[in-house]
Formats: sequence, C-alpha cells, structure tokens
Amino acid sequence: MLAYTFKRLAAGLISLFVLATVTFFLVRLIPGSPFQSGSVSSQVVEAVEEEYGLNAPLFDQYAAYMGNLARGDLGISYQEPDTTVAEIIGRTWPVTASLGTAALLTAVILGTGLGILRAVSKRKAVREGIAAGGMLLAGIPNFAAAILLLLVFSVKLKWFPSAGLLSPAHYVLPVAALMLYPMAVISRLTGNALAAEMDRQYVLFARAKGLGRGRILFTHALKNAWVPVLNYVGPASAFLLTGSFVAESIFTIPGLGREFVSSVTNRDYTLILGLTVFMGTVVILVNLATDLVCAWLDPKLRRSYSGK
Amino acid sequence: MNIRKETARLVRGNRQVLAGCVILGIWILLAVLVPLFWPWSYSEQNAEIRNQAVSLPHLFGTDKFGRDIFSRVWYGAGISLLIGTASALINGCVGVAFGAAAGYAGRRTDMVMMRAADIIASIPSMLYVILITLVAGAGAGSIILGLCVAGWIDMARIVRGEIQRLKETDFAAAARMEGISRIRILRRHLLPNAAGPILVNLVFMIPHAIFTEAFLSFLGLGLEPPAASLGTIIQEARSQMLVYPYQMVCPLIVLCVMLLAFHAVGTAAEGQLRRGKGR
Amino acid sequence: MSILEVRNLSVQYHTCQESRQALDGISFSVGEGETVGIVGESGSGKSTAMLAVMGLLGDSAAVSSDGITVCARPVQPGRDIAMILQDSLNCLNPAVKIGRQITETVRIHRKCTKREAKERAEELLDMAGIRSPKLRMGQYPFELSGGMRQRVAIAIALACEPRVIIADEPTTALDAAVQVQILHLLKRIVEDTGTSLLVVSHDMGVIAALCSRVYVMKTGRIIEAGTAEEIFYAPVHEYTKKLLRDTKGHKPFPTHPQEVHLQEEHLQEEHLREKPQPPLLRLEHVTKVFGTDEGIRDVSMEIRAGEVYALAGESGSGKTTLARLLTGLLAPDDGKILYRGECLDAGKGKRAWNGKSAWNGKRAWNGKIQMVFQDAYGSLNPCLTVGQALGEALRAQGGKDRLTPAERRRRVEEMLCMAGLSPEDADRYPDEFSGGERQRIGIARALIPEPELLICDEAFSALDASTRKQVLDLLLTIQKEKKIACLFISHDLALIRQVSSRISVLCQGRLAESGETKDVCSDPWHPYTKMLLNSVLPPDPLKAGKVRPVFAEEGTQGTDSGKGCPFAASCGYAMKCCFEETPGPYRFGSRETACFLYSEKHTGKRAEGYTMTSQI
Repeated sequence: MLAYTFKRLAAGLISLFVLATVTFFLVRLIPGSPFQSGSVSSQVVEAVEEEYGLNAPLFDQYAAYMGNLARGDLGISYQEPDTTVAEIIGRTWPVTASLGTAALLTAVILGTGLGILRAVSKRKAVREGIAAGGMLLAGIPNFAAAILLLLVFSVKLKWFPSAGLLSPAHYVLPVAALMLYPMAVISRLTGNALAAEMDRQYVLFARAKGLGRGRILFTHALKNAWVPVLNYVGPASAFLLTGSFVAESIFTIPGLGREFVSSVTNRDYTLILGLTVFMGTVVILVNLATDLVCAWLDPKLRRSYSGK
Repeated sequence: MNIRKETARLVRGNRQVLAGCVILGIWILLAVLVPLFWPWSYSEQNAEIRNQAVSLPHLFGTDKFGRDIFSRVWYGAGISLLIGTASALINGCVGVAFGAAAGYAGRRTDMVMMRAADIIASIPSMLYVILITLVAGAGAGSIILGLCVAGWIDMARIVRGEIQRLKETDFAAAARMEGISRIRILRRHLLPNAAGPILVNLVFMIPHAIFTEAFLSFLGLGLEPPAASLGTIIQEARSQMLVYPYQMVCPLIVLCVMLLAFHAVGTAAEGQLRRGKGR
Repeated sequence: MSILEVRNLSVQYHTCQESRQALDGISFSVGEGETVGIVGESGSGKSTAMLAVMGLLGDSAAVSSDGITVCARPVQPGRDIAMILQDSLNCLNPAVKIGRQITETVRIHRKCTKREAKERAEELLDMAGIRSPKLRMGQYPFELSGGMRQRVAIAIALACEPRVIIADEPTTALDAAVQVQILHLLKRIVEDTGTSLLVVSHDMGVIAALCSRVYVMKTGRIIEAGTAEEIFYAPVHEYTKKLLRDTKGHKPFPTHPQEVHLQEEHLQEEHLREKPQPPLLRLEHVTKVFGTDEGIRDVSMEIRAGEVYALAGESGSGKTTLARLLTGLLAPDDGKILYRGECLDAGKGKRAWNGKSAWNGKRAWNGKIQMVFQDAYGSLNPCLTVGQALGEALRAQGGKDRLTPAERRRRVEEMLCMAGLSPEDADRYPDEFSGGERQRIGIARALIPEPELLICDEAFSALDASTRKQVLDLLLTIQKEKKIACLFISHDLALIRQVSSRISVLCQGRLAESGETKDVCSDPWHPYTKMLLNSVLPPDPLKAGKVRPVFAEEGTQGTDSGKGCPFAASCGYAMKCCFEETPGPYRFGSRETACFLYSEKHTGKRAEGYTMTSQI
C-alpha cells in the first residue's frame, strides 16, 4: 500500500511539472501585458516589466520560476504588488474549501439517502419520483440553479442574503446551488448500483438464510455498491474544492475561483500559474485519496497491495 | 444485439427517449427557422423598444439595446447546439480512437498513453478553456478547441475498458485464430460491441459541452458580440437581473429544457443498456 | 411424516410481451431424514421450483399452490429450511469476511452473544470439513478454492439449524474429485444431524450417489417418481430411459473407439511402410507459466493426422493454456511447438495485444488449427449475424484468391447445412439460438477455414446430456468424413473414453500419464489418473454409492513452483523423493507415465524385455 502511494505521488509530481510548464508558456501567449491598463504609457509598462524580469529570455524566466516552485515559492502577485501568491491562496482557499466541503457533505448525505430510498421503497411513485427528480436536477446547469435560487429566495422572498459569506445563513444558497447537481448524480449512481447488487446471487443466498431485505441492503449490498459512487465523488470533490467559479461569481464570494477569473482577465502571470499549480495539487491529492479509499474498501485490492 | 434494431426499439419503446427526441427536434427546428423567418433580427438594435416586457410582437420581450429576445434566444440556442455537437463529435472520435488504441495495444503502450491522459485529466478542464479562449481570442472555434483539450478523456477511458474486456472474449480469440487482421478485428469485431457505452457517453457529452460553453459565456469569456450563445444572452441580462428578470429567465428556461432533453435521452439509453446487460 | 410438503405448485413468468408457464402443478414431499432427488435437464424448471418453495422468486413470477409447508408450517426462508446454491463464488458476498457471513446467520436463528456465535461458526466450519476454521473465518470468499467455498455455503446452511436442506446443483461447478468429497460431506451431515436433504441436479450420477427417492422433471412437470432403485433400474417413462441412456452413453458413437483405433493402427502401419512422416503437431518440452503456479510445464506430446486425441485434467490443470498455445494465441516460454515438422517460435519476445508474448505471425497456422469453445455464446460475436461471422472467417483465409461475396455465402450455407442448421439461419443473430444450436454454429465456425486440427476445449460440458450426444455425433461424423485430427480437452473421463483413441492426463500443468485411451482408462498407472477415474459417478445407485473421496482436505494440493510431483501432497503413494524431485516421464511401449513408482530406482534394474504393470 505504501509503495503504491509513493508511486502515485511520484506520478503526481510529474503531472504537476507538466502542468506548470504548459501553463507557463500558455499564459505568455495571452495577448496584452499585466501592467497595461487604461492610459499608462508604454514606457512605464516596459519599465515595470523590466523590474519584474519579464524582459529576460523566456527560458531563463521559466528556469527561475521552476526553481522557485521547487522550493515552494509561488512568487509575488503583479496586481497586488506587496502580497505573495501564497498569501492570496491562504486568504481565498479557506473560503472556497469551507463552501466546497459543505456542499460536498450535503450532496453525499442527501444523495446516498435518496439513492437508498429509491432502492428500498416499495412504492413505485417514490422510486420514479426520485429518479425523475434526479434527472431534472442533473439537467439544470449549476449557474442557472444559482441564478434561479438567488431570484426566488433572495430577491423575491428575501429569506437569505444574496452576497458574501459572513454567517451560516449566507451559506445556504451557494451550498444549495453547488450541491444540487452532485446530489442528483450520487443518488442516481447509488440507486442504480444498489439495484444491480440486489439482483446478485449472494443476495438470493442471504435471503435464503433468513436475512431481511433491509439487513441485506445495509450490511451486504451497500458494501459492494460504493465503487461507482466513490469514483464519481472523488473527481467531483476535487472540482468543488478547487473553486466553484459559478457560485462565487454569482453570490459575490471572495473565493479561489473568483480570484482565478480575475487573475486571468488581469494577465497576472504569477497568480494564474500559482493558482493553477495549487488547484492541480489539490486535484491530484484528492484523486489519490479516492483511489486509496477504494483500495482500502475492496478486500481484493487491499490484499493485492499489501501482499506485494 | 443488432445496433440499428436496438436503437429503433429504444426510441419506439421508451417514452422518455421519445419525449427527449421530440423536444430536441422542436428546439433544432426553432433554432433553424426563427433566425430565418422571424421579423426581428437577433442583432438589430432599436432604442425605441428597449427593455420591453413580454408581448405579442416580442414573445420574450426586448433587451436593453432594444433587440428582440425571442430571436436572440433561438439564434443563441443554435450556436450552443452547434458548439456542443461539434465538440462532442470531435471528443468522441478522439476518445474512441485513443481509448481503442490504448486498450488494444495493451502493456507498455497502454500504460504510457493512459498516464498521459491522466496528466491531462488531472488539471481542472475549465482552466484550459479559459486559457485557450484568452490565447486564441473569443469565438466558437477557440471554445470548441478548449472543450476538446480534455473532453475526450472520459470517452477514452470508457472505450479502453470496453476494448480490454472485449479482446479477452472467446470470439476475439476465435477471430485471431481465423487469421483476421488486427485492425479488422478491432474495427469489425470489437468496436461494434462497445457501441452502447460509446453512444450513451456521446449523448451525455453534448449537454456537458453546451453547459460549459454557456457557463464560460456567462463569465464573460465566451463569444464576442454581436454573436451570441445562450450563455452570453444570460450574461447580458445579468446586470438588470433584479429589474427585468424575464430577460434572464427566458433564455435560462430554453437552455435548461434543451439540456434536460439530452439528459432524458442519455439516462434512458443508459438504463436500457444496463437492463440489456442483465439479460 | 414428511418435513417438506409441496402440493400442486405452479409458476408463471410474466414479461411485458408474453407469459410463460414455468411449472405446471408439481407436487412432492421430503420425509424426515430422507434424501430426495429431483433430476431434470436445464429448462425443466427445477431451479424455479426450489426458489418458489423458498419464496424467493422475483416480481415477474406468479406462484400458485395448494400449500407449501415445512414441518406443517408455511415456508419462511431460513426457518427450518436452508438452501445451497450452485455457484459458490457468487452466493457469498465478496466484500464480507467468511466469519461474519456465518455468524450473522447464527445470530438470526439463536439468541447469543457475538462470542458464542463465533464459537458456533467455528464448530459449523469444522462440521463442514474445513480444517483451521479460525484462519478461514478471517478470509474473504475469493481467497478460498471452489470446494472450500461450497463447504462454507454448507456451513451457512447448517447455521440455520434446518430440518431440511435444499441443495440446488451443489457440485456442478466443481471438479470430479471435489464433487465426491462434497457429496460425502452432505451424506455425513444427513446421517449426523438427521436433517432431510433435497438434491436438485441434472447429473444422474450425483442423484444416484445420494438419493433414496427420485423425482424426474421435464418442462415444468414431474413425469416420474419412485425410489432410486425403481428409477435407475426399472424406469417406466420413455424420457427417464433416454436420460439414463444418454448419461451412460450405451449407444455406440458413429466412430466406434475400436474402429478409430484400427484405422489408426492401419495408418501407423502405412507410416512404417512409407517414409516416416512427421506427426501433424508435436510439442517438445513446452512450458508456459503465469505467476507462480498457473500454466503448463515441460509438456511433450504428439497428435497424428486424423486421430482423436484427448487431454484430461481438472480445472487449473493448464488445459486451456495448452489449447491457447496450440492455436497460437499464446507463445511458449520455453520448448517448441512443431506443426508438420515446422517450428513456429519466430514471434518469441514480441508483445501482443493481450499483454502476454504471443506469436507475431497472425497467419502462423494459416487457420489450420481451429477451436470449438466451451461457451458457445461467448465465442460468437453478438454484433454479427451467423452468416457474417462465418463469412469473416472465410474472408481471412482467402489470401490472393479471395472469394466473392456470393461464393462466400454459398460456402456459409453449405457449412450450416452440414452442421445441421438451415441456410436461413445465416441471417440470424447468435442470441436467437438455443444452447445446442449455438454450439453447432461454433462447430461450423471452426470448420469453415478447413482446419487439419480441431481443438474442442470442454466444448460439450455446458450442454445437456441429450443435446450433447447429438452435437457430439455430428462432430464425430464430420471429423471422420473430413479426416480432421481432433484434440478433445475435457474433465469428463466418461466422454473421453467414448471418443478418443489416445489420451494424455494433465495434473497441475504437468503430464501425469499418456497412452492408448483404452489402456489408460482400464488400467491407470499414475495415482492421479486413478483418482480421476474413481471419481466418476456412474448413474447407478449401487456403484455410485461406493465411490469414496480419495483425499479429505483440499487446498493443500500443489507444491510450490515446479518442484516435485504436483500430485504428491494428495497422493497416497507419495514417497520422500516425490516432494523433492520431478519424476521424469518413464516410457514403456506406447505408454508414458511421470511417477517415481515406475522409475528404475523404485522397481530396480529392469531387463530388456521387461513388461511394466501397474504399481498401484
């Protein structure tokens, strides 16, 4: 298991290296300069560029950046001259992470709950209602959901505040907007996986030995049904944790995603790079964690990892 | 398991698929016909009829420049459909080719190819799209390009898995014994058997691409005016969201119904596929 | 007094298109401590009947009866009644430890603490003949062998403290030797605990070995019932007679073994007279190993043109690996495979699609070796019509003088007719055929490239006895007519005996014994061959009842990679050297055996004209 983890981490480092390289050169292809704004004269722009070392040969800049990156230094932001990229991440990431975690937890809890309900319910109306609702929610894009929620609950009904992230009440709408889609998908996956498990031979055998349907579902079928669910939750949580551009933009939340969009429009090279590398790291780590959990939950995989 | 027969049965026998297809048909028809025959053009500005409410001549009202929203929405829907379908097709082809090659080659080739795909996939795909639209300039082409950088990977993984499974089957072994060439085995014997998952995935790729495009446009990174997709129309209405909500709600609903129709077809096909396997 | 009483049970399956009568008013009963058998071919509704009795049929089935009672009470799964299913791998939850699966059953049926339940579970595993139950409790199903899993399933059934156990095809998925062990276990449990047993099987031998009373089922009805003696010695119904006949294989096959034998001797004489012709296919010390213990080691054999050669062995003996080597899907790690004296190991080291090194030359054998697969459905591409699939095979053979589509079509139709199908079947898809028809298509597919050697890898073991006989007759007729050599790979010694002229017995990847079929089967020299032969259950209660398991515990068999005789651990004759050295093949006339009992070390120095006899 440990060897496997190290192997994956090494592969992750290679991914990050490629990511940083590609982004570095891609960013430079964006037309315009980070310091070009309004009526600033081109001399001034050049002078500032000189100061930031942007006129050095591109490859030297790349080498310097990679060297700093290896030491964990993400550089200084161009737009906010006295703040480092690390500080900006430190400021915005907790906001995004708390929002993402809240959305993820509600999505997983409600999603699996609905999925199980769909699998166990004896009433056709409940089963089909959950299936249809799930399909409906999965079809609505999250920014549309966010706008509709904002219009209805904040503008019309004035139940919840519309911007910022100051109190628990502020969380309700963005979390709701973010979790609807993953919840729908999770409930569909759980329901399908459970239904497939319940058709398997071991369920028949368990019923033959006198186990009730509920017991079988919770102690037997669930143990085998998590695979597709987890395979979705992994990447989805990575997505939620790296900034939900949508909710942050619509509900004016100072998170990572918003920071990223503004850094791109400002051509803030170091900030774009730093944020990209950071998000890449989070994604890789979350995916690794998912795979490890999968391996740990599957006895066959667990044995094969620990055996060698 | 004849593919043509199965598809026909799927469409005829399933109300959900039928409904989805009918809605999509209507949407496509409107997207083609409205820009051609509607009295108001999508780009013509008219200061006298700004921000009009829903009325008979302007079914969805007009926007802040006095443009007819009904005409704009259907024009935008057409663009969205075009971008979605084009990128889904490109992604589908690339994904199928890549996945089939990796799965069929096996061993080291497979490992290298899938590692490369993993690296591409480990980066949030939104980043590419944003960066590429910035580099290549706003426009349908760069959005499609952005969507295609990482969009094929899911398809490639699915196809690779299917091919890996199929090439171990007895009928693949029999085909090899008969001396059929590898390319022909892959094309004629293995890929048709993977058609189900490929098609289902393709159906889901279209709404995903449409959604991404709409979302980008919504962030202001999409098409440049006067061209408009549903996302840009929604984005333009955003500044007046509180005063004239219908300017935003109409295109939103058109978009949602379109995505829902795709999802309805996709989930129904997926269910059919699963039941078919259980049989 | 009867424990299980079923009166007038009917089951109808409703699907959206049609409704089908699966069971039509069957009644049966099982008395206290009695072992009752229900026998019938696949599709006769026996499994449906058992599920209906347990009340486990799905929503699509409509069940009606005048009463199904266990101990005069309506049936409730797990109360006084327990069930064992055929597929022991799938009927245990793969993600739950063995121990939990037993203790949870124990705790449904008696109020006790977790510790008591655990103790009880160990006791039950011990009762089911599993040594070191403590170790097994902490393992997952995939870590146990097939026989062991079936023992665990029996332990779980026993945990229900049943008055009657229903065993649905309890040994069908197991090797013959393990089957005998499990049947003995069931017998012992009935004797020790006084439970009644209801055995459902398609195998007359299994029924004969266990049951005192038998019901015969056909298409949802019970057509004959009686004591075992009545059914086996004096069957009344024509169908029962036919079942017995098909399993015994009394009726001689078209190619009588004797005839093949004669013909082959004749051939041999011809060879001697003319210049020595190389055999059709020759294996020299072929080795192909996967992991540590799977695969084959140091196998040498010869197949002559036009003969029927048999390869016998249990699951895991490397039969399928050998078949794949011969057809060129795999390349040997070591050794040579010569086809008409031509060595084809050019592809060594090349990587192939399945990740294992294989022949590069895709036309290495140019289609001259073909195979009929065990799973007929799996060997046919579901996306191609039968005509297309056969056409593909023809197309690949064409080379330069490729056939036109019309010619190809004609050849396909001819071949279908030869395989006993109609030309119109060419336009149908594989899923529209029955099992027997599919195997006919499989044969047609294998024959259409006009092979010189046809490999049948367990090609008939999935078919019912009567279908099997028909398809086998067909194959042997064609074989004789076209003078194709045939390699029969099977675990079924009764079948091999009927069809083949020469035989090799594989034991965990090594050849244990080879020679003329009639010699080897009537007078086995290798202890492994003897065990295999002794595990065959004849459809005769007296004889089947006498079959005894050779060794009690499995899972110990197999020494570590490649050293010693693979059978040593389970062999009653094992000596010290059996574990340390590999017995070389010892040749005596037409026979060859790999057992130290026949070595010079054991029998002493032998004179020139010494005639070896069986040492066991």
